[in-house]
Amino acid sequence: MNQMTQPTPPALFSIRDLRLSFADRAHKPLFGPAPRVEVLKGLSLEIPEGRITGIVGESGSGKSTFGRILVRLLAPESGQVLFDGKDIGALGEAALRPLRRDLQMIFQDPMSSLNPRHKVWRIIAQPMKRYGRGGDRTDAITALEKVGLSAHFADRYPHELSGGQRQRVGIARAIALEPRFILADEIVSGLDVSSQAQVLTLLADLARDMGLTLAFISHDLSVIRHLCDTVVVLHHGVIVDQGPVEDVFEHPQSEITKSLLSAIPHPEMDETWWDDMPEPA
Amino acid sequence: MTSTTAHTHTLDIINLNIALPRGQRLLRNVSLQLEPGEVRALVGESGAGKSMIGKAVLGILPHKIKMTEGEILLEGAHLNAMTPATRRRTVAKMSALIPQDPLTALNPVRKIGPQITDPLIRIHGWSHQRALARARELLDRVHIRAPDRVMHSYPHELSGGMRQRILIAAAFAPSPRLIVADEPTTALDVTVQKQILRLIRELQRETGTAVLFVTHDMGVVAKISQKVTVLFAGRVIEDAATHTVFENPAHPYTQALIAATPTPNVSARPFQPVPSALIAELHRDTVAADALFAQRGRR
Amino acid sequence: MADVTTNSPRLILTDTNFRLWLPLLWIGVIAAAALLAPLIAPHDPLAQDLMLERLPPFFMDGSEPGYWLGTDSLGRDVLSRIIYGARIALFVSLIAATTTGIFGSALGLIAGFYGGWADRVISRLVDIWMAFPPVLFAVLLVAVMGTGLGSVIAAIALIDWTRFARVIRAETMVQARMDYVDSARIGGARRAATLVSEILPNVMPSIIALLMLEMGIAVIVEAILSFVNLSISSDDPTWGSMIAEGRGAIHFAWWVLLFPLIALFMTVLSFSTLGEGLKQRFDPVLK
Ligand SMILES: Nc1ncnc2c1ncn2[C@@H]1O[C@H](COP(=O)(O)OP(=O)(O)OP(=O)(O)O)[C@@H](O)[C@H]1O
Ligand SMILES: Nc1ncnc2c1ncn2[C@@H]1O[C@H](COP(=O)(O)OP(=O)(O)OP(=O)(O)O)[C@@H](O)[C@H]1O
Ligand SMILES: [Mg+2]
Ligand SMILES: [Mg+2]
Repeated sequence: MNQMTQPTPPALFSIRDLRLSFADRAHKPLFGPAPRVEVLKGLSLEIPEGRITGIVGESGSGKSTFGRILVRLLAPESGQVLFDGKDIGALGEAALRPLRRDLQMIFQDPMSSLNPRHKVWRIIAQPMKRYGRGGDRTDAITALEKVGLSAHFADRYPHELSGGQRQRVGIARAIALEPRFILADEIVSGLDVSSQAQVLTLLADLARDMGLTLAFISHDLSVIRHLCDTVVVLHHGVIVDQGPVEDVFEHPQSEITKSLLSAIPHPEMDETWWDDMPEPA
Repeated sequence: MTSTTAHTHTLDIINLNIALPRGQRLLRNVSLQLEPGEVRALVGESGAGKSMIGKAVLGILPHKIKMTEGEILLEGAHLNAMTPATRRRTVAKMSALIPQDPLTALNPVRKIGPQITDPLIRIHGWSHQRALARARELLDRVHIRAPDRVMHSYPHELSGGMRQRILIAAAFAPSPRLIVADEPTTALDVTVQKQILRLIRELQRETGTAVLFVTHDMGVVAKISQKVTVLFAGRVIEDAATHTVFENPAHPYTQALIAATPTPNVSARPFQPVPSALIAELHRDTVAADALFAQRGRR
Repeated sequence: MADVTTNSPRLILTDTNFRLWLPLLWIGVIAAAALLAPLIAPHDPLAQDLMLERLPPFFMDGSEPGYWLGTDSLGRDVLSRIIYGARIALFVSLIAATTTGIFGSALGLIAGFYGGWADRVISRLVDIWMAFPPVLFAVLLVAVMGTGLGSVIAAIALIDWTRFARVIRAETMVQARMDYVDSARIGGARRAATLVSEILPNVMPSIIALLMLEMGIAVIVEAILSFVNLSISSDDPTWGSMIAEGRGAIHFAWWVLLFPLIALFMTVLSFSTLGEGLKQRFDPVLK
């Protein structure tokens, strides 16, 4: 279906038939193991290098779980995860360590992803130090300023920030390491449009100028439309739509994508928006 | 002093001021009202103090942060005049919070089920069965697909959007008079978001619950709210009916916010920050207002 | 939930400062008494004088000036003995609680963070250990190892490490699920470094609260062992041996029993209150 309109760069990630399941505790029999719920049911896709790939889909469809496999916080049950041609799906922690700097993640839940007992500057600087890329206060402040936070946030604790400020600390921590790949899990929905614009422009620039590859999980289809080059639509752990962002938005193949597009609330008064209510199957 | 006018507001915030211990102001003379069954959107830049307003109403301001001035009335009752215990009870009975960070708001070592039913039993005095039935009903209405699996799960086993919907269900379960919803749909895809907004509309009509709805999404504002308050650096810079705000926004900052909201329309220029000259001007106004406030304080 | 901030005055009793400072004051007094015992004790705690036996405290008829809290049946000054008793009580509780705390917390952190077989081994050990009745266990241990302060300390550590291991294991498991642990992993931290520099600071408040509780418990255990004559030589003034001796004279010289009991009670109470207060003080959100 997706005809290649422009030359596609080599894939940074090639994923083949990726599967994962979790134990279902509610239906556990008295004796014996609990049944499994399949969360990812055989995903295959490529993530091109230096491009921004959007990942969208219903809540609970497996986006974060998939993302955690990409940065290898989770290991797949079966299938291949080729990063730069090398299968990282089954690597142990020691073998992963040299790759870790290049596989960064910005977490969906900003509060719990920041250690409550460390100051903001230390949260940003510590990974820099571990990877030998500086890591003193001024480096942290430079990173903070890139995401629109002034130096006086450096000495705060996470609970002394607003939600959007916390989110930006997480973004600063990831970009400060200058990785090859960042998984951004729902990072802009907690930001006002102005901070959003600043952060997205920054990420787009990094992708264009520094060759950063970005996987961008978001519910905001307008942002996906403007930011991403390609997009993947997940539904119950299966890819239902995939391709260049124009194609998917102009000619959605699946009902899921169509219903997502029709449910976007546009910033205008319009009572007809409420009328149709397509139920995703 | 209960000014029993023709009707009472569900929530009435009068001239609220909140400050850090060293006197740095976080909220500056904020006033806003909510009628029964009304949804008021609270928008503004990140760090403007939106969450602080909600926390002040519910009496859960962080330890160091104090209310320095102002009145908060819930259904006409002066919260400030109450003893801490009475206030806590009144607030718990009449209102609910959908907090901004769902993960930290849930106890990591308890299953979801009792976390929803406990307050219904403890605060509202419901029977166990009734609480359980209501929890199931609400999980269903927020479109959680497998309510039983979810009730038996621990928070870290659920997706971000599921956690958020659980908190929405827990807040609506006792049909409170007021819900402070602090960015309640950030982790929800647009179809579920639409279902949740529809649910809020239904419940608002069924029970007359008023909702203070904090959000960054001007699209959501347009759909769900009847009134809008725009906050900048702890100051209310616009307070108007939603249709006025969209058809004829008075303040240039509000205009910029609406203009900067991305749409899937390709021709629009993406990611426009609010002009820095406007931000600088607003900050100058804030400094001037603070100087005036300090002067008045000294007199 | 967080506390409710209102403009009405707060009851002083609910104030965390009060919970912190009052126990600190008492422990400070006891600590000063322990350190400065030879300087401040009005009499030699061992000096017997049968002419002065069972003198009542200062506010009663027949009291003798200088013997503020009266004397026991051998004519020894009760106040001086309490002051010297504080030395032993504090020494034992400090050493015993730290040993117990370090040992038990380390096992709890390892079990909670690494899981797997490490957790199974440690948890099983805790279960087996807790099947023994603690006081009996202590008495048995001291009987085997011989009396003396060293045995008392060892007995406390051997019995009570399970308290730390259990609580800290549970807390560590909660913390290990937080996203900040995953983000440390992504940030290149090794497992051990994650445990020490990310998780430990977050369970530290609980460790401190438990340490305080443990110091209180150590004071009691030491008193119990003295009471049954298994601590140090019964001549040395300990609160436990004073209580044991006072028990016999309760009907005609109640003060011999009551004052060391008050000292013991206040100290134990202070330690546990201080633990809670410190836990709150160290909580970054409530600080
Ligand atoms: N404990 C604290 N100590 C000092 N400053 C604080 C503390 N908590 C919040 N702040 C500051 O108060 C301001 C208002 O915070 P608030 O959480 O209300 O913002 P918000 O409008 O909800 O923003 P967001 O949209 O990002 O959630 C922020 O600038 C924040 O940095
Ligand atoms: N550790 C776990 N144990 C059991 N089930 C899990 C675990 N982690 C995730 N799940 C389940 O996997 C499914 C997918 O979750 P995931 O977090 O990937 O969704 P998501 O697409 O990111 O959704 P959202 O947009 O709401 O964040 C959910 O049904 C969730 O309950
Ligand atoms: Mg997710
Ligand atoms: Mg907020």
